[in-house]
Amino acid sequence: MRLGRNVSLSTVFKRHRHAAAAFLCVATMVLALPFRDRVDIANIDMLFLLTVFLSAVWLGRGPAVMAVLLSVALFDFFFVPPYLSFAVADAQYLITFAVMLTVGLLTSHLVAQLAERTAQAQESERQARLAHALSRDLGLAMHVDQVADITAAFLDEFDLNCTLMTYASAALRPMGKSSLASLEMGFAQSAYEHNTVIEVDTLAGASKMIAFLPLTVSDRVLGVLAVGPRHDDAGRVRELRPFLEAAAAQIALIVEHLAQADAIRESELQASEERLRTSILASLSHDMRTPLTSLVGLADALAQQKSPSAQIITDTAAEIRDQALGMHHMLANLLEMARLQGGDLHLNKEWQPIDEVIGSSIRLLAGALSGRPLEIRIPEGLPLVHFDAVLIERVICNLLENAIKYSRSGTPIQLEVALQPDRLDVAVKNQGTGFPAGSCDAVFELFVRGDPESTAGGTGIGLAICQAIIVAHNGQIAAENIPDGACVHFSLPLSTPPTLAEESAP
Amino acid sequence: MSAMLGRVLIVEDEPRIRRFVRDALGREGCETFEAGDVGEGLEMAGAQHPDLIVLDLGLPDQSGLELIRKLRAWSSIPVLILSARIAEQDKVTGLDAGADDYLTKPFGVAELLARVRALLRRRQQEAQPSPVRRFGDVVVDLSRRVVQRSGCEIHLTQLEYGLLATLLANDGKVLTHRQLLREVWGEGYAGQSHYLKVYVSRLRQKLEPNPTQPRFLLTETGVGYRFQS
Repeated sequence: MRLGRNVSLSTVFKRHRHAAAAFLCVATMVLALPFRDRVDIANIDMLFLLTVFLSAVWLGRGPAVMAVLLSVALFDFFFVPPYLSFAVADAQYLITFAVMLTVGLLTSHLVAQLAERTAQAQESERQARLAHALSRDLGLAMHVDQVADITAAFLDEFDLNCTLMTYASAALRPMGKSSLASLEMGFAQSAYEHNTVIEVDTLAGASKMIAFLPLTVSDRVLGVLAVGPRHDDAGRVRELRPFLEAAAAQIALIVEHLAQADAIRESELQASEERLRTSILASLSHDMRTPLTSLVGLADALAQQKSPSAQIITDTAAEIRDQALGMHHMLANLLEMARLQGGDLHLNKEWQPIDEVIGSSIRLLAGALSGRPLEIRIPEGLPLVHFDAVLIERVICNLLENAIKYSRSGTPIQLEVALQPDRLDVAVKNQGTGFPAGSCDAVFELFVRGDPESTAGGTGIGLAICQAIIVAHNGQIAAENIPDGACVHFSLPLSTPPTLAEESAP
Repeated sequence: MSAMLGRVLIVEDEPRIRRFVRDALGREGCETFEAGDVGEGLEMAGAQHPDLIVLDLGLPDQSGLELIRKLRAWSSIPVLILSARIAEQDKVTGLDAGADDYLTKPFGVAELLARVRALLRRRQQEAQPSPVRRFGDVVVDLSRRVVQRSGCEIHLTQLEYGLLATLLANDGKVLTHRQLLREVWGEGYAGQSHYLKVYVSRLRQKLEPNPTQPRFLLTETGVGYRFQS
């Protein structure tokens, strides 16, 4: 309580510095008045000078000058006979006044100058420290959005708001969450086009940003930094302008650097897409030809049999069916992957319990799972999760199929769900040889198989589809080896499900 | 020859698929009729009064959906859709239009026959509805609104009971999320699928032997639910 009052008193002092100086002078007068007849008038004079000195230290030049004038007046009125009058009985007091005035003015000037220099030194030290922190933070930025955040946090230290705009797809675009009024966008555009700093006056509410600094690297303008004061203090921005320009130059360098890194990544991506296309063709021609050859062969064999036994017919038919369904499966996976990679993936997300989609996946795989002990662990009371049931069913099916395919028949498959504070984890484990050493990350790449020489049929699409689906859900997926087997686990983020109005008692 | 299972109209433009469906149904004891497009299909449906229509969605003259819409104006003959498309939305559109079940190509004879049998059986049951339904260790007395499991009465809330009764009344038929929400909760709940999912989960907890791997209250992922006795 007491602290709160002190704080508010000091803010009041800072806001009304002249009033504070007057208050100090009057206080000195009131304190000295009872001693008027017992203390030498020269000492009272000193007290007033002390007040002026303190005013200069605490409140600055202007208030100190006012304190000098007020002190002389108060000294004359209350302490120089005749009292309560500006008249002066003894002319020598005029010298006292003159000395008091001169000393007071000189002191206040010197002290105020010293205080200003100290403040300036502190401010520039603070600026240097923050500028250093800025360049360190910017060096760690991986994306332009982060640059915008770092810049905002940095200017926040100076009570300034800012919006970082970069030039992309033929227009200036504000980064991050911030947005600008169309008038402000106009100023930014013109700062961009003319490569010059634009300062505007605050137009009653129309423009919050008042300085627009181009981000320039060797005469190329990459964007614009708009800066505005947090409180109605336009002078602050002008004061800091050289400093802001230096910061803008630093930001420009980083934006340029990130753009270059993006370009390199882009070209790497293109190269990897090229490789992908080649491997798709290679993989397809191999993986499709194998079952097709079997189909042709099986049909021919059946036709050439003179009088095939019922057993042979049944067996051959079953074989033909298996091969055809295998091809269908492969085709479905390929189409799914094309859809996921096409970028027009529409997630049909709904709030639902995870156990339902686990149950339906198990039912779909009933055939493949027969003869496999299935150990399912799902805790009770799980929250609803927001996901696309069809796609997550596909993920769980793919993981279960893999777990079956890469372990010996009869060994158990485990499916475990675990609730974490911010996500739901689902893990599928088997007992087998696990992933070959060092391949745990690569298995999610398209057409990469854990063991390229594996005889188990497959194209290396399954886990790539899983990853694309989980990433589209803002989740994570990873593979690892566990004692006696392999584990693939994915997580879905949790948030607040919609409320469910409970029905009233029947 | 065993008693005839039913009269089935096959509307499919691809002759090979039509042939294998016809042969399979014929061996099963069905009398079959064939049509190659929507116009012919509607004509045959009116003339022959089949017990079931097996309908391909991709027909040369019009979409199979048109046939369902026109058919439903005057008939409740069960319709089994054959769809080459994998998108769930196509199935949902067909079911919402009034189809009873669907099969995605490629499908096997066993799957086809299972669906056909279920739909024909349901048609016979509709003729003689029974107020008491049994599945697993559960007995539902629809006339008294009483549900018992292993002889003990199970308490269901009004909505839980409504959902169960709707699913039971459509034994074997896939009901879409929208159909169930409208039937049990009312018009305003069409987008509130989480209600449906939570209530199905509660029903399974109360009635299924193993709620995680249900045997009777089945999920048709992305489409809806089906009760299968």
